[in-house]
Amino acid sequence: MEPLSSFFAVSVILLGIGIYGLTTKRNAIRILFSVELIYNAANLNIIAFARLRNPPIVTGQVLVLFTIALAAMEAAVGLSIIILISRLNAEIDLSKLSKLKG
Amino acid sequence: MLGPLQPLVDMVTSPLFLMIVLFPGLTSIAIIGALLGWLERKVTARVQLRIGPLYASPAGGILQMFADLIKLSFKELFVPENSDAFFFIMAPTTGLVIGAALVGLIPFAPGIQIANIEVGLPAFLAIITLSPSLVLLAGWSANSKFPFIGGLRALFQQTAYEIPLWLSALGVIMMAGTLNLAQIVAAQSTGWFIIPQALGAFIFLVTSVAEMERLPFDLPEAESEIMMGWQAEYTGVLFLAAQGPGFVKLYAFSALFTTIYLGGFLGPSFLPPLFWMLMKTLVIIVLIMLLRSTFPRVRLDQLLRAGWTTLLTLAIVNIGITYLLVVGLPTF
Amino acid sequence: MTDLLFLAFAAVTIGAAILAIEARDLVYGAAALGIAFLGVAGLFFLLDAAYVGWFQIAVYIGAVVVLILFTVMLVGPKMGETPLGLKRVSLLAAILVSLLLGMTGALANATAFPGQDSCGSGCDLYLLSTSLLKNYGVQLEFMSLVMAAAVIGALVLSKTDRGQ
Repeated sequence: MEPLSSFFAVSVILLGIGIYGLTTKRNAIRILFSVELIYNAANLNIIAFARLRNPPIVTGQVLVLFTIALAAMEAAVGLSIIILISRLNAEIDLSKLSKLKG
Repeated sequence: MLGPLQPLVDMVTSPLFLMIVLFPGLTSIAIIGALLGWLERKVTARVQLRIGPLYASPAGGILQMFADLIKLSFKELFVPENSDAFFFIMAPTTGLVIGAALVGLIPFAPGIQIANIEVGLPAFLAIITLSPSLVLLAGWSANSKFPFIGGLRALFQQTAYEIPLWLSALGVIMMAGTLNLAQIVAAQSTGWFIIPQALGAFIFLVTSVAEMERLPFDLPEAESEIMMGWQAEYTGVLFLAAQGPGFVKLYAFSALFTTIYLGGFLGPSFLPPLFWMLMKTLVIIVLIMLLRSTFPRVRLDQLLRAGWTTLLTLAIVNIGITYLLVVGLPTF
Repeated sequence: MTDLLFLAFAAVTIGAAILAIEARDLVYGAAALGIAFLGVAGLFFLLDAAYVGWFQIAVYIGAVVVLILFTVMLVGPKMGETPLGLKRVSLLAAILVSLLLGMTGALANATAFPGQDSCGSGCDLYLLSTSLLKNYGVQLEFMSLVMAAAVIGALVLSKTDRGQ
């Protein structure tokens, strides 16, 4: 069985990739990819720590069920906003969409 | 005796490996998929007072699909020029993998189940949720109007019918008290679930026919509607890869219906359980094939409205009925 | 054997994640994201969280990836990032991220995580389901309200004005 630090390392690497994508990309959908990667990194971390005891800490798995559902909802609403923006502005480059009006 | 090859020989002769390769695994899925193609043509032909495939072998054309396979492998396989070749080839192939994974979860007999996992029923339904994205990718990758619209329609249809599918399976889970498919079969030893779950079984049957995109729900890939929809650009062996998952999913869905509603491999003991399982699955498969030649095609807006409103409400009603059956009438 | 599985899943996840944010075409990025989710689900299975793993497959790959693909195909082909003007920000971000990884790695080695023993009888679904429905039942109901609000919000946002 793998030691927990390896799972923790994978989760931190995913977090790093997500933060890198979040800060350097300008396309809105790519930023959404990065946010989803950060969600997955956090979920993996919680499940890994929930496995510290035997039997696993069930609260962690319940929490991850909730966060998976919440992430899906947030992706749905975010994608609707992106569709709406692209309908109004014909491009989704977030560094150029800095006005709240419209 | 064989020295360094001994672990390899151990793995190849282990029961799990034999199950994966022979039955109920890959070889049997391929053969049954081909035979189901022949069976469908025979059944629809008999309903239409025709004879169907006859010439491919002395036994009523049973080798017809194998003849088709040989013919298709000689046809020219070309990928359209501006299409996305990676997804064009990978999407139907992954569909075949998904179909095979579905069959691996089903208990065919008390010892014959490739993957006896604790959460078998949600696993089956979760693997099915992977297919709409593959159809969308296949339709998009052909870079042509009709396949893309067909792919979008198939996506809408399959996504709309996922929720009634999960909810009608929830009725079975409530009655059996377990998510493990082998234990659901064992819980039906006192009575098959199709009798108390008649509404749920009906909903499950309708939604699984819609998920498989068979008539009467095959608007996205109908030949007279949209020029074969998302499969329009597939020729040669890829055509087989695009049609094959349909038959494998038919086999998998019918086997799941038999497992959760008709008692799986349970039956009088003068015949082996495997025989009962296959016979019940065959009954459901022929029933679904008869639906094809009996009902007219459902229009897309009627189809989506039925999936999101009517079937969803009926599934929730079914959950209510199941709750009353399991817990008993509430005392006030 | 589990070591090999862990390495395979971890490599697939990290590779697909890098591909997801670096691929030029957004559809390839979405497909790579789906593969990354599959890798994370595999890691969940290795951590004896089977139900959560299948839930992840059904929700993330079955719904979120579909949503993303659908949006990408509707919004139209927007190519990836033009690299001009961003080199300095990319370098800074990469340095910061490596510092973050390095610090966390140092902390992880400092505290000794125990290796696991194999999961006993407690890894079945009974604990998870009773905890979810008994202890967190109220939260479950709130989640359904939030889901209803999200669905209504998404519908309202993507509504088009149809001329009467």
